[in-house]
Amino acid sequence: MGKNFETLEHQVWLPYKFSVGPVFNRFFEGLKEGKILGNRCPKCNKVLVPARSFCPECFVDMGDWEEVSQEGEVVTWAQANYEFFGAPAEPPFIGALIRLDHTDCNFLHLVGGFDLSDIDAVKSKVKSGARVKAVWSDVKKGHMLDIKFFEPE
Amino acid sequence: MGRPVAIIGAGQTKHGNRSEITYPDLVREGVKSVFEDAGVGPDDIDGVVFGTMPSMMEGVALTHFYFADALQAVGKPILKSETCGSTGMSLALTGYYWVASGMADMVLVVGSEKMHEGDSQATMTTVAEPFYLRYFIAGAPGIFSLQSKLWIDRYGLSEELVRDAAAKISVDHHNDAFDNPVAHIKKKLTMDDVKNSKVVVYPSRLWDICPNSDGACGVIFASEEKAKKICRNPAWVKGVGYSGEEYWFDDSDKVVWKSAINAAKQAYKMAGITNPIEELDVAEIYNPFTYVELLHYECFGFCDFGKASDLTLKGIFARDGKLPCDPSGGVLCTNPIGASGLIRVAEAAMQVTGKAGDHQIEDAKLGFAHAMGGASQFNGVMIVGSEL
Amino acid sequence: MTGKVAIVEVAQSPGGESGDNYLDQVYRICKEVLDKAGMKRKDVGTVVSASSDVFHGGVSCANAYYWDAGAGFLKNGSRQDGESLFAFYYGVLRILSGHYDTALILGVCKGSENPDNDMLTHFYTDPFYQRPLGMNETFAAALQMRQYLDKYDVTEEQCAQVVVKNLGNALRNPYAHIRKRVSVEEVMASKRIMDPLKQMECAPKSEGFIALLLASEEKALELTAKPVWLKGYGASMDTFYMGDRDLLSSQLTNAAKKAYSMAGIADPKKELDVAEITEPYAFQELLWYEGLGLCGQGEGGKFIESGATGIEGEVPVNPSGGVLATNSYVSRGLYRVAEVALQIRGQAGERQLDKKVNTGLAHGTHGFAGQCHAVAILGI
Repeated sequence: MGKNFETLEHQVWLPYKFSVGPVFNRFFEGLKEGKILGNRCPKCNKVLVPARSFCPECFVDMGDWEEVSQEGEVVTWAQANYEFFGAPAEPPFIGALIRLDHTDCNFLHLVGGFDLSDIDAVKSKVKSGARVKAVWSDVKKGHMLDIKFFEPE
Repeated sequence: MGRPVAIIGAGQTKHGNRSEITYPDLVREGVKSVFEDAGVGPDDIDGVVFGTMPSMMEGVALTHFYFADALQAVGKPILKSETCGSTGMSLALTGYYWVASGMADMVLVVGSEKMHEGDSQATMTTVAEPFYLRYFIAGAPGIFSLQSKLWIDRYGLSEELVRDAAAKISVDHHNDAFDNPVAHIKKKLTMDDVKNSKVVVYPSRLWDICPNSDGACGVIFASEEKAKKICRNPAWVKGVGYSGEEYWFDDSDKVVWKSAINAAKQAYKMAGITNPIEELDVAEIYNPFTYVELLHYECFGFCDFGKASDLTLKGIFARDGKLPCDPSGGVLCTNPIGASGLIRVAEAAMQVTGKAGDHQIEDAKLGFAHAMGGASQFNGVMIVGSEL
Repeated sequence: MTGKVAIVEVAQSPGGESGDNYLDQVYRICKEVLDKAGMKRKDVGTVVSASSDVFHGGVSCANAYYWDAGAGFLKNGSRQDGESLFAFYYGVLRILSGHYDTALILGVCKGSENPDNDMLTHFYTDPFYQRPLGMNETFAAALQMRQYLDKYDVTEEQCAQVVVKNLGNALRNPYAHIRKRVSVEEVMASKRIMDPLKQMECAPKSEGFIALLLASEEKALELTAKPVWLKGYGASMDTFYMGDRDLLSSQLTNAAKKAYSMAGIADPKKELDVAEITEPYAFQELLWYEGLGLCGQGEGGKFIESGATGIEGEVPVNPSGGVLATNSYVSRGLYRVAEVALQIRGQAGERQLDKKVNTGLAHGTHGFAGQCHAVAILGI
């Protein structure tokens, strides 16, 4: 059963218009200006970045905005060596969670700026705890990839 | 049959075009509103039920992940109930069965949709499978217009009579919506405005059809013990019913519409209702299309088959009539699909607890809430009352 | 538990790609479970199915499409998105409510009709912060794996052992998709697609049509001589943004605690005779051992090396081959339940454990790095 039946191929494409809202909008405006903006929960005092509209734990509106440090530590990372849908770059590239200094959550982004062809060399450069610093694109459009990557110091 | 279940709170966002905020913020607005109404907080909740239309609608899949924080579901069990247009009712039923089973004492139920972020008709076209139906069925209006035509022909109804009844429904609901602070479309229309509006899929015209709305709704179900402790004035779930037909449109008769008839029958049986038009005080019917609302009156036993148009024109189902239907304006005025079925439950609960504000039906004690889904495939009913 | 609900019959389809029409597959699996129970469709009280529109061949409102093929015609039924253990639990609730004696639980996911899981799980992301970075379940798992290896004494070889164990177990499971003898070396040499994750450590994409028949206490005893009772259940969600999560300390512990407490289990390692764990990425089986309290934090590598979770071990884990052998995504939670039920009933064929199996654990997870976990304890 089922050996010689045909397959019907079909693609579905759908358009979307996501509402950005005032908080994310301001975060993206910050990127355009070369700034990374977080905000602080008035209840638990945590600084979250990228900025949020509400604190997930306290369930209250976030309070004061802060321009956060563009340097931090790698918390964890992974090197992509294959192509996949929605990938931010051609492989090989490194995705990571980075704790920017004086913030209370991890920032998802890329680590780069050096040769990725030798995995052992990469591992010595990018361990957990490694210090990294944001490197920006020349053209900024208000998009997460306005930051090109974080480069190890 | 199972322990008694109460509704101790209901809340809604302002429905409409909410492009000024993100989708999680919209969900949060709905969650906050029900917590406020019920006077409870996230720590009181044992479980969360959430659902929407398919992922394709807003371009995010398995949204219980994205909204975990907006729902305050972290650390909690969740159930994700989704059944197309009847989702809102399926959500309410899930909350009901969860508490009735005794496995939870308080359940937060939330439905939402943010239709302005996607292409709703294109999404609905993906409901049709690609082998047989997709070439012919594009979007919702086609299906419901087909069904309306079947009904008109079956009973040999005068197209003019039916056209007038449907127009009256449109005029009444769009006007009623002015007394519902959260409704989306509020408009003063004349019968001619409706009858002359642009044809979308014959016989349905622009004002016969619901809008695309953004919105969220929350309802909290609780055990008898919890309800009596916390809530001065809970609504009680008196009857539930749900039924689904085949996927293939019109394999089953869509005029003597079994799933609608059965869903209502199940709920009436549980609630001990034998004469709905006499015993019910208010009904919130899922009515995205005026013509199909008429058909629903018949299937729910509010009148004899073929007679809905006559009674509508007599005002039986108007706000000051014998059985007010959709005093909130209904889905015709406000349709954030994933929430719409739940909004019917919220509205019925508000009515029987005297909390419906300017659109309160006086002395309402027993309310009927309904949702429909798929290509006229699913119907669900929940009856709520002010007495246990 | 506020009452007793049992699994009375199980029917599962093989996980390998099939050119069969999907509605036929849904129909046949429902027919099979009903025939096994000696029941007619009209006698079933309610149907709760599990499916996800995005894992559904581009046809949304999945429940509409398979409703009648799935035994649902004119029934009061429902459908759960995402995790099929939710459908299982919801069926249980409907029976415990007193409204129904029997419930058909159906899992529907035809892997061969879907794009890659990486493409589909990418759409769990918020469009603003995580989608531009290409986040998907594989990417999330790789971040989690690196942190796991860095923090504890767990080695990459120990992670690879999960693949060896599970694909080897699958050799005795005629329903499994990937069934083969592999070595740690082969796994270690497979492409490091998302370093430290290797190709062979990532689950495939399989067919998954599965049906369970549940019944109330009284009805179960009529329908079968070997009812398998639900003893406990727990589920828990984690917070959404990857950056807010503690990837090594998941909500699995919370879910397991609730399930164990309901089932009266104080020492899972001793009291569980078998466990079927959802491990779409090999290292996660080790991490989940810890979350389930089968071993201490950071001890997952040592635990697998000790043989404790092998077929002859103290707590055999994934005798079916697990998700690394058969990844029917949405349905995979029910496949875990089915295997535990079969083991308890002594109906697991060639892979039947050589010991008395009275109590077992079935686990399901989905979402980035396990954002959602559900645990069910089944027993005699």
